[in-house]
Amino acid sequence: MKRNALYLTLILPAAVFVMTSTALYASGEPESSNSAPAVVRLVSERGSHTEAWKSLMAAFQEKSGIKLELTQYPYANYFNQLMLSFTSGKSEFDVPYISLLWYPALAKAGYIQPVNELVDQEPGLKSDMPGLSTAVMDGKYYMVPYMNEVGGVVYRADLFNDPKEKQAFRAKYGYDLAPPTNLKSYRDIAEFFYRPPNLYGVTLMGRKSIFLATHFTNRLWAEGGTVLDASMHPAFNSAVGVEAVNEVKDMFRFASPASRTYDFQEALNEFSQGKSAMVEVWTTSMFYFNDEKSSKVAGNAAFVGFPRPAGQENAMRPRLFISWGFSVSAKAQNKTAALDWIKYATEDNNFASAAPIGTIPTRLSALKNPKLIAELPWIPAFREALATCVPTPIAPLIPEGPTIIGQYIATAVSQVITGSASAEEALNGAAAETDRLLKEHGYY
Amino acid sequence: MARLVDRNKLSFLLPGLLFLCAVYAAPMVYSIGVTLVRWIMIRPDLGIRFVGLHNYSVVLRAVYTWLSVGRTLVFVVGAVGLELVLGVAIALFLNRNFFGARFLQSIMLIPFMMAPIVVGFAWRFLVNNETGPLPNLLSSVGLGAIVNPPLLANPRLALPVLAVVDVWQFTPFVMLVVLAGLKALPTEPFEAARADGATRYQTFFRVTLPLLKPAILVAVVIRTLTALRLFDTVFIMTGGGPGNSTEVLSFYVYRLAFETYDMGKAGTVGIIALLIAMLLTLLYIRTIGVEKQ
Repeated sequence: MKRNALYLTLILPAAVFVMTSTALYASGEPESSNSAPAVVRLVSERGSHTEAWKSLMAAFQEKSGIKLELTQYPYANYFNQLMLSFTSGKSEFDVPYISLLWYPALAKAGYIQPVNELVDQEPGLKSDMPGLSTAVMDGKYYMVPYMNEVGGVVYRADLFNDPKEKQAFRAKYGYDLAPPTNLKSYRDIAEFFYRPPNLYGVTLMGRKSIFLATHFTNRLWAEGGTVLDASMHPAFNSAVGVEAVNEVKDMFRFASPASRTYDFQEALNEFSQGKSAMVEVWTTSMFYFNDEKSSKVAGNAAFVGFPRPAGQENAMRPRLFISWGFSVSAKAQNKTAALDWIKYATEDNNFASAAPIGTIPTRLSALKNPKLIAELPWIPAFREALATCVPTPIAPLIPEGPTIIGQYIATAVSQVITGSASAEEALNGAAAETDRLLKEHGYY
Repeated sequence: MARLVDRNKLSFLLPGLLFLCAVYAAPMVYSIGVTLVRWIMIRPDLGIRFVGLHNYSVVLRAVYTWLSVGRTLVFVVGAVGLELVLGVAIALFLNRNFFGARFLQSIMLIPFMMAPIVVGFAWRFLVNNETGPLPNLLSSVGLGAIVNPPLLANPRLALPVLAVVDVWQFTPFVMLVVLAGLKALPTEPFEAARADGATRYQTFFRVTLPLLKPAILVAVVIRTLTALRLFDTVFIMTGGGPGNSTEVLSFYVYRLAFETYDMGKAGTVGIIALLIAMLLTLLYIRTIGVEKQ
């Protein structure tokens, strides 16, 4: 009995070892991890621009032999998931695809590492990719923008080109109906097309959120104001800020009543159903508006950069700049492979082929691609809007930036448009909160 | 022998005690610990530093805290009060055992079975001025002024709308608990009341309601505790706005934790919410507490 047990103890594991080795050899499994293909683990939100670069993954894997693995989260909880994975020290992602707003926090915390090698490899990259200038901290590049867009106004080209409308507009305002280039014409056009309940002048996003805050910052920047001054103190409660927030309130007169409760998606829905003549959003919405399956205005939506004050139409002023791009985790197991992927995804031709799926290339050279322009005729208008502004992120590029815009300023604007506070009261309250936060966090 | 019995008792109790420690005590100690440090999740460069009761001092002095406490209490008192009145009324109605009462009871439970997120989206659509039937209905009966500005964009009406949504969803729960209480009532007190010539009004207030106290207490305590945690419908329907008019305590905690990433202050407000819940529960037990039968 004892002898049998001894045999079993010795022979059984040996037999299992031999059988496993033989099976592995026969199946061609690698013998050691050295010969395993490099794996790059990507993480992203579920969005149209992710879909665009996803279309390049198969070709890259075939060409490079590098295996890509992708994890996606819904946008609403993506940043929280990312932060929790980093703070817990259990992050297994090599290439987080992130918003421009997030990289300051991630870089400051040491969760992502510089990608200067990529920028150094291609001398012309800085001039070809204007968004790169917004991804620098202490002289180091932390993000390679893949998608970018600017704030502006999308308008119904069919209404703007209608001879009857043109005639009526000229008779009422004394000048030609054209895409809004200054704040006065923007307001006039909104008023002109305000014909409730069938058509509204403009669609705005009135629900308390970072989207509502953009209506304020659009005007603040156009008028020459700024959110924080050079010493990081709040400057948005200046006279220019008060004027800007009152202007937002005034524009809601020409929007549908429901606009006061809209977020981004609801605003897109209203305009795409032909219920308004203009909508104040940003460029990627053009994909949605020109989608024939869901939009009644497909083919009739056109884009123009956010207008400036009358008489300052050509002034170089900030415009809302939104960007998403690739970063490399500080714990990336194979940085070279990660950079290879980023380089491939942001190559000129690959940009042009993936863009129609749902991204706007960040390379100026790709924006001139004739095939791309044939597919997306509004690309030149975007290029023009980008070239004539100082690209300015939706929030100051500090970890506290999204809090200042999405909480303090959004609340202040919401209070003003609903009449719960005057412009001065609301903005001063938001400024005091900002001041307290930045002081607590050691900025001064 | 006695020591052996004691040891046996302890060994039987130990797994349960360890489980309770792991499930209740450890997270509670951790939560309290978080309130004693400065921990800004998006600023790991600042480190996690022990600050004693500083977070409590800041949070208790902040106007926002008291405003959100006020809103939460208004919401809880309004919503739970209405749910109680309606729940008892519907339970009394369904207790008559008429034809179709069971079917009606099942239908009425549907809102309670829905996920709060779904309820939030459904009501956001219902009260939308462009697409929702409610504003159109109110306008058609000459009450259009109520929905202009839209209900969820009106700082005075947004919180009451959230309370109505809560009443719609959770009245069936109160009804269910009270109905179970009604079914379990003894018949003798009612027969005695009838024999004494008590009116229906007297029977209800002197017999039914006192006998229902245990069921009502359970319903009110559970509903108060869940109403204090109101979050999903606020998140979906108003985002805490317009302004800060619907920013209740749970939403305030969320804002501090996942928008400002100030874990210390978020934890502190969480502890304050817990204390309020405990105080309210004690208050209920004292005021409508059940005497020993």
